Amino acid sequence: MASIDAISRNLMLDSLREYAKRRLPFDFIRRHDTDNEFPAEILKEMYDPAILGVHLLMIPVKYGGVSGGTFDIYRVCEALARIDLGIATSVFATFLGTDPLNVGGTEEQKEKWLTKIAKERSFVAYAATEPDAGSDLVNLKTRAEHVVKNGKLTGYCLTGAKQWISNGGVADIYTVLALAPGGPSWFIVERDMEGFSPNKHEDKHGIRLSNTAGLSLDNVYVPVENLIGLEEGKGLLQAQAVFGYTRLMVAAFGLGAGLEAIEIAARYSQQRIQAGGPLSDKQGYTHKFLVPNIVRLEAARAYIEETANRLDSGEHGLQTEGAVAKYFATESGNKAAEDAIQALGGYGYTHDFAVEKIKRDVKITCIYEGTSEVLEMTIYRGRWQEHLKTRGRYYLDLADKMDALHTANADVGAEACALALRSLAAVLEECRVQKLTRHQHITFKLGRLITMGEAAYVFSGAAAKEKYSESVRFDAQGWRAMARVFAREAALTIAVEGAALVLGTAEGEVNLSVDVAGAAAAQKGLTADMDIVAAKLKQTFKAK
Amino acid sequence: MHIAVFIKQVPDTTEVKINPETGTLIRAGVPSIINPYDHFALQSALELKKKHGFRVTVISMGPPQAKSVVQLALALGADDGVLLSDMAFAGSDTWATSYALSRAAKKSGKLDLILCGMQAIDGDTAQVGPGVAQQLGIAQVTFCEHIDLDGKKFIVKKLIDNGYEVVEVKPPALFTMIMPPDYAPDYPSFPDIHAALAKPYQVWSAADIGAEERYLGLKGSPTQVNKIYPPPLKGKAQMTHGSVHQAVDKLLEIMKKERFIEE
Repeated sequence: MASIDAISRNLMLDSLREYAKRRLPFDFIRRHDTDNEFPAEILKEMYDPAILGVHLLMIPVKYGGVSGGTFDIYRVCEALARIDLGIATSVFATFLGTDPLNVGGTEEQKEKWLTKIAKERSFVAYAATEPDAGSDLVNLKTRAEHVVKNGKLTGYCLTGAKQWISNGGVADIYTVLALAPGGPSWFIVERDMEGFSPNKHEDKHGIRLSNTAGLSLDNVYVPVENLIGLEEGKGLLQAQAVFGYTRLMVAAFGLGAGLEAIEIAARYSQQRIQAGGPLSDKQGYTHKFLVPNIVRLEAARAYIEETANRLDSGEHGLQTEGAVAKYFATESGNKAAEDAIQALGGYGYTHDFAVEKIKRDVKITCIYEGTSEVLEMTIYRGRWQEHLKTRGRYYLDLADKMDALHTANADVGAEACALALRSLAAVLEECRVQKLTRHQHITFKLGRLITMGEAAYVFSGAAAKEKYSESVRFDAQGWRAMARVFAREAALTIAVEGAALVLGTAEGEVNLSVDVAGAAAAQKGLTADMDIVAAKLKQTFKAK
Repeated sequence: MHIAVFIKQVPDTTEVKINPETGTLIRAGVPSIINPYDHFALQSALELKKKHGFRVTVISMGPPQAKSVVQLALALGADDGVLLSDMAFAGSDTWATSYALSRAAKKSGKLDLILCGMQAIDGDTAQVGPGVAQQLGIAQVTFCEHIDLDGKKFIVKKLIDNGYEVVEVKPPALFTMIMPPDYAPDYPSFPDIHAALAKPYQVWSAADIGAEERYLGLKGSPTQVNKIYPPPLKGKAQMTHGSVHQAVDKLLEIMKKERFIEE
């Protein structure tokens, strides 16, 4: 996918932030959050090509869009999440809704629908989930029956129910997954088609500025030209083809929301005086609430960017990487928001401060576009294959690369990272020998440990670079300290949790070559590095 | 008519702090923005373009990354953009900068009007605009808030102490712009930013504008900055509360006590 140059991308981000500053003050967002109200007029404005035209990012230039690449879309998603995750979700639903067209549509279909969406500022919804088919789309019940006239297939009649559809109650255009005689297929359904009706707007825990509703399809006639790709049975493949990339967008949501919460806490901590000094000068505060969270979020950023760059340079799929990015960034964002409430004490628990709303909002990112648990399984499955294929070398090879990196640059935690990856390889191998992956619990846990190892690997690599990405707001001293802190966390977590996993499950004799003592020894210097990170936070996020 | 707007990329000074030990600006992590006065000058030019169909050229001088303010101006509607970028310009003071910009203005063809911000928020000198007018030998009006065209004359509203002055000026001329109090800068939309990539953009070196090196950079600069420091805070502020009358009474009381005024 084409990518926009860095200057233009940053001008777009500036325009988005300026728009939000003027049109989306906290009071506005808070009122709509309380009232559970979708701000349709704001979304229409954001889609207005004379004002922002944010939806054009997903649409190729030849259909009237601006052909944003994965990196561009990640940056915009992060910025949207900082503004409000409900609004971000609504924009994302349009992105996602146009995806089946982008991936599987014929040239005529793209021309017709993408041009229409660009020009008419249409809200789009992506309708896959059903009451009995969430993570498991194979259980799809919505049917698309052939309509034949004079021996010729003219269209389909769609019948069924969809659930938890973002923009469900407000979209103009829906891409609906239904089971045709030839298999699952995507159809374009327009709001005013007979037999189609959205249900009531859900009363949700968070993202209350986004509309979420079920859909009822009662014999909705859809002309044959609305079958995406004009071929039945491609639906699940088309859905999966974009997971690597759509999950990166949700990863960016987790990142943006988590960072917003931590930045609020970091600024607050410099103004709040307790026991004679600001909270920002107290380790008990910074090293508990701020440092571990910023470290994980920056590691998540490094991972998201690496995956985005790979997709932009033409690699396909990257389902496992997309899953790692989303799982890690959204869980880290959720934890950061949780800690930010505690960091603001009583204030954090009130509606007057944004952190409690962020906490309610960000939880959805651990659920939609693949729950954290589905992702743990996906990650395990993807990398287990690699482990078997390489006869256990997969993470050992990465560990060797980290050894080489450590020789070149002893500053980025590569040594601890190599330790983490060797432990990971050992845990996977012992799981193979002991046949432990028969236990579902083990597979999910492996997904988590793999994520820690890979995130540490990417973060140390990114921190060693001479020039950082445009998104990094810390200097090399700060970012490298963060990489070291994270590499230590990965080394300890994988060694201890991995050993516990194997020892706790194996029935036979265990021969586990995990260096737990080494992982403990690698913690040397941790507190001093956390001190550096705390100081950088204070310098970067000054009190307002 | 053809207008040139001079714009500058500056650090967002609301975010900048000074390192008290070294006397230098702490620039790390501070975003760069278009100088707000220049932003208004650009919008004034674009308004004239909209009304009268002028051509608007933007010119900036700075390191390669200053391209971003030129791209911003193109996205907002300027027709073409130029960045003066050359190591020879580095360290130029207001005199050397005025010289370089005036050379660039000459290379841009026949200009009827040049607009600048009143001053840049990083240096606050307000000297470059007038310096360019002097170098070019054209009329200048400083601290302008609004520009109209009446036939072939510009009618300019200029801020003075206690009010405004309305001035008629024949082109070619240079105006420096203030920001009106109710002004909110425009920002371009995504498609406008994308479309700007297709507009003419050039980078000019010192040689391109025929500038003599001895008038440029540090060696062409009569002024050199030795040190920057925040003024030391003196004394304590005291806030008075209550009605205006009560506040004034309190103030008078303090002024008498401190012997600023006689009883």
